[in-house]
Amino acid sequence: MLSKKHLLGIEGMPIPEINDLLDRADYFANRPKQSFPDILSNTTVLNMFFENSTRTRVSFEIAAKRLGASVLNISVNGSSVKKGETLIDTATTLNAMRPDILVARHHASGAPLLLSQHVDAAVINAGDGRHEHPTQALLDALTIKRSLGRIAGLKIAICGDINNSRVARSNLYLLSALGAEVRLVSPATLVSPYFAEMGVPIYTDMEQGIAGCEIVMMLRLQTERMEGREAPSQHEYFHLFGLDTHKLQKAAPDALIMHPGPMNRGVEIDSKIADDNSKSLIRTQVELGVATRMACLEAVAGAKL
Amino acid sequence: MSKTLLKNGRLICPSEKLDMLGHIIIEGNHIASVGTQLPDNADFDTVIDCNGCVIMPGAIDMRVQSADPGAEHLESLSDLLAAAGNAGITQLVSLPATSPVIDSAVMIDSLKLRASSYKGALFHLYGAMTQSLDNKHMAELGMMAKAGVVGFANSLESVSNSLLMRRIMTYSKMLDKPIIHHCSDPYLSKDTDMNESETAIRLGLIGEPSIAETIILERDLNLVSLTGCRYHAAHISTASSIEALRLAKRKGLPVTADTSPAYFLLNDKATADYNTSFRLNPPLRDEADRLAIIDAIADGTIDAIASDHHPIEMDRKMLPFGQAACGAAGVETLLPLAFSLFHTHSISLTKIVNALSVAPAKTLCLPIPKLAIGTKANITIVKLSSSSVIRGSDFMSQSQITPFEHYLIDSKVAGCFVNGISVTS
Repeated sequence: MLSKKHLLGIEGMPIPEINDLLDRADYFANRPKQSFPDILSNTTVLNMFFENSTRTRVSFEIAAKRLGASVLNISVNGSSVKKGETLIDTATTLNAMRPDILVARHHASGAPLLLSQHVDAAVINAGDGRHEHPTQALLDALTIKRSLGRIAGLKIAICGDINNSRVARSNLYLLSALGAEVRLVSPATLVSPYFAEMGVPIYTDMEQGIAGCEIVMMLRLQTERMEGREAPSQHEYFHLFGLDTHKLQKAAPDALIMHPGPMNRGVEIDSKIADDNSKSLIRTQVELGVATRMACLEAVAGAKL
Repeated sequence: MSKTLLKNGRLICPSEKLDMLGHIIIEGNHIASVGTQLPDNADFDTVIDCNGCVIMPGAIDMRVQSADPGAEHLESLSDLLAAAGNAGITQLVSLPATSPVIDSAVMIDSLKLRASSYKGALFHLYGAMTQSLDNKHMAELGMMAKAGVVGFANSLESVSNSLLMRRIMTYSKMLDKPIIHHCSDPYLSKDTDMNESETAIRLGLIGEPSIAETIILERDLNLVSLTGCRYHAAHISTASSIEALRLAKRKGLPVTADTSPAYFLLNDKATADYNTSFRLNPPLRDEADRLAIIDAIADGTIDAIASDHHPIEMDRKMLPFGQAACGAAGVETLLPLAFSLFHTHSISLTKIVNALSVAPAKTLCLPIPKLAIGTKANITIVKLSSSSVIRGSDFMSQSQITPFEHYLIDSKVAGCFVNGISVTS
């Protein structure tokens, strides 16, 4: 059960609710072959993706189906939005079809909140602009917890394009709330000093930033940003901020690597590291996405009733 | 000839250095008497008891964007002038960003002709600095000056080409008209959603640094010292711009500035729940900026307070914050919000009255509004200590989106005369 009807972000979420979600996700993760068709029977889940996404959408779809929900996917890119319909018009139209849960991804920060103000369904934010991506942060936390047994006290470096990353924000809130020591590592052009005002240490030197960290979380960087905009070139970016074996030596001895995907191999992360299953948690993150989203769908359905 | 008595009010007139309890008699369209001796009520057609009210020279709103022509459905010119008059504004100046743009004498003639038949506030115009507000080609400033514009303005994009700006200023100086400039660096402000701040970071919105305003302002101030053009910085919102203005005024440059209530009563934390009625241009700034604006009003660095009225369609506000249009209604809240500086920040009534009437007139070379025998009876009456809450739905105009929804105010407009005629309902 959640205290709020919608799951729009991690910021401000009570810690017991976060832990409940993680425990429930852990329960589902331990039963990967099992379906729970009673949990969301008679429930309609609408996936509204205003921005392209494969992994998140599929992950939500599988999660909903394993809970017995009817799922509808709407890729809004090619639909009435192109004909000038506003977000609220689209929401009102879909609302008339009485879905129970709306899973929304949008390129504009705050769009799921706006949607939630105009529909009866419970809204789950599947990523909005630069704002939040709460289910990603929850699945990342679950991944860490299942791999290392705890989150409190861990040193975790979030590295890459912080300014434009909703994953960075949600993870920052969640991992800090659960007692991890989070650091941000980024070129100065991609991390606003206002993050420091939020009490997070910022490092512009990758080796110093990841020194002693048990978890190194890499973020995706859009390639066009590395063509003389925020960074001079991909070549320089990889040299200074790409994760390679050499830099990784500065991290804790058994440091684990994460990435929300999709990866730019050879730009932000060396393939050798990404594909090394003894170090990389990237595949586990994808696997645990389903269990995490099952827990989230169940929780908002419960809060709604 | 009709005779109206305004009695028992507090007469405040900065240009006459007047602050006293007394009365005013309006005969026809002129002020016939200003004094303390209460005449016999029986001689008047109308007697208004102004106990607890300030009687001030008519307010001038020097920054209003009319939706008419082009978007009359949002607010027609006659509705705007009626709403402004009802809100205590005796004269207003409209910006050129209409559709079509006000960049020619013929546009000015036609709008002035239309406005002359409407009731409410008197109407003045700024001409566009550049053709179609393209920020590339100087508009027919001379023709527009002959047609009676009070100055030249840009839209919400600054003229970034310094050479063009120099030429416009030089030409305006020749015409003896002021330039009214909205200052924002085109690169630093491009694609931004709000003020650069921790709030912006949390909301995942793109921030504009406050110096985006100051960079262009400082360039302009350098061009003012080169050209000698009269220059007015519009809706100033940041502490760093205040510093630049203070320095320029100390040097004796012919520079004035205004701000609007949002910049001295609200800060960027107001946007924390993506409420698009707080999406303005310039964006709401941080608390230190807000306090610096109040200091600047108190010490006269900011001369005038204007509404920055800008009707926006509801459809263009019911969007994610970053996609929503900037702007909000302002004429109907200008006076009570300006007077809140007296209630909450102890700024003197004389200063507020000056910022609302004398200062805009001086900048625009309009006759100085005053409470003096023989002058046109343009008078605003404001009741102090009258608590209420702002609601857009109470506005007379159709333009009802306001960042001050539910805001508590302590004064209200109790009367307004334009050329001797009451324009309040």
